[in-house]
Amino acid sequence: MNGHTIGQSVCPREQEIVDLVVSGRWRDDGDDGLGPHAAQCDACAETLELARLLQDERKALCEEAPVPSAGAVWWRATIRARAEAARTAGQPITLLQGIAAATALGLFAGLAGAVWRSVAAGGAWFDRFDDLVLRSAAAPTTLILPLLLALAACLSVAPLAVYLATADEP
Amino acid sequence: MREMTLSELSRLDSAASEADEAFQMDEDAFRLFYERTARPVWAYLARMTGDPRQADDLLQEAYYRLLRAKTAHETEAHRRNYLFRIATNLVHDLRRRPRVDAVQMSEQQEHADPRQADAAGRLARRVDLSRAMALLKPRERELLWLAYAQGSSHQEIAETLRLKTSSIKALLFRARQRLATVLRERES
Repeated sequence: MNGHTIGQSVCPREQEIVDLVVSGRWRDDGDDGLGPHAAQCDACAETLELARLLQDERKALCEEAPVPSAGAVWWRATIRARAEAARTAGQPITLLQGIAAATALGLFAGLAGAVWRSVAAGGAWFDRFDDLVLRSAAAPTTLILPLLLALAACLSVAPLAVYLATADEP
Repeated sequence: MREMTLSELSRLDSAASEADEAFQMDEDAFRLFYERTARPVWAYLARMTGDPRQADDLLQEAYYRLLRAKTAHETEAHRRNYLFRIATNLVHDLRRRPRVDAVQMSEQQEHADPRQADAAGRLARRVDLSRAMALLKPRERELLWLAYAQGSSHQEIAETLRLKTSSIKALLFRARQRLATVLRERES
């Protein structure tokens, strides 16, 4: 700093000085009269000095800036975007597999429970089966066919769904 | 970790091509913009963090965030301001994290070998400025750099730093006084 006192107010010509320094058009003896003004005005003198100092620093830093090439930055950004897209695309698959696994587990647990109750009941299982067959025979045929079809569909589609969700493709 | 199925891979492949499309500009436009802005942005990051290595990392991150941003820019000036805003946010984020083995710029510059008296004088001024800037508040550093080094208008500074345009003049005045005071104290 050149010994000017610290400016206590804002001068309306400060911005003109900054603009000239930033654009590299500042001249102490310029026709605009800003040079003599800056020599008289504390605020402008301070602004001029700091603007020059910071401009010099910016130029020096820009010269020594070890920036990578645009191609390298673009390439890294592309790779990263792809990795992020892959992660995002992978999330629904994991979710679907989780649902399928939970469904299969629930189905297995339900079947195991039903079998266990039947075994625990002993011979009553056969009686109940006979009873079921008799009741089924008594039921209207219009209901039996859709029920059987639905059961068959569930039995065939459920394992297929689990397979498609979890197994690797050939 | 499980291996991917072919169907997953094909889905990921399409996602990869979508990733290219997700950028807000094409490669040629990016190259042009980068060539014009990379060095000033690096300088800003280096001065705001005080660490050139951090500036290297943040530069890549800043451009990545710019490319992925959904914001539409009417002019290159808008895009440049937006880039500086991203850079400012990155510096703020960095400040919230503990710093590990940062290479201070002032120390680096002090160890440089001045070959000429003129170069030595310039170097001394840069070290003084570096140390003085380090004593300022982050907001003051940002204001001064954007106004006097980058040459941004008050409106642009307000957009970059998310401040009111009307408050920039007063804030800049106080920041300028602080820097001048610190520099004078260092001289005396």
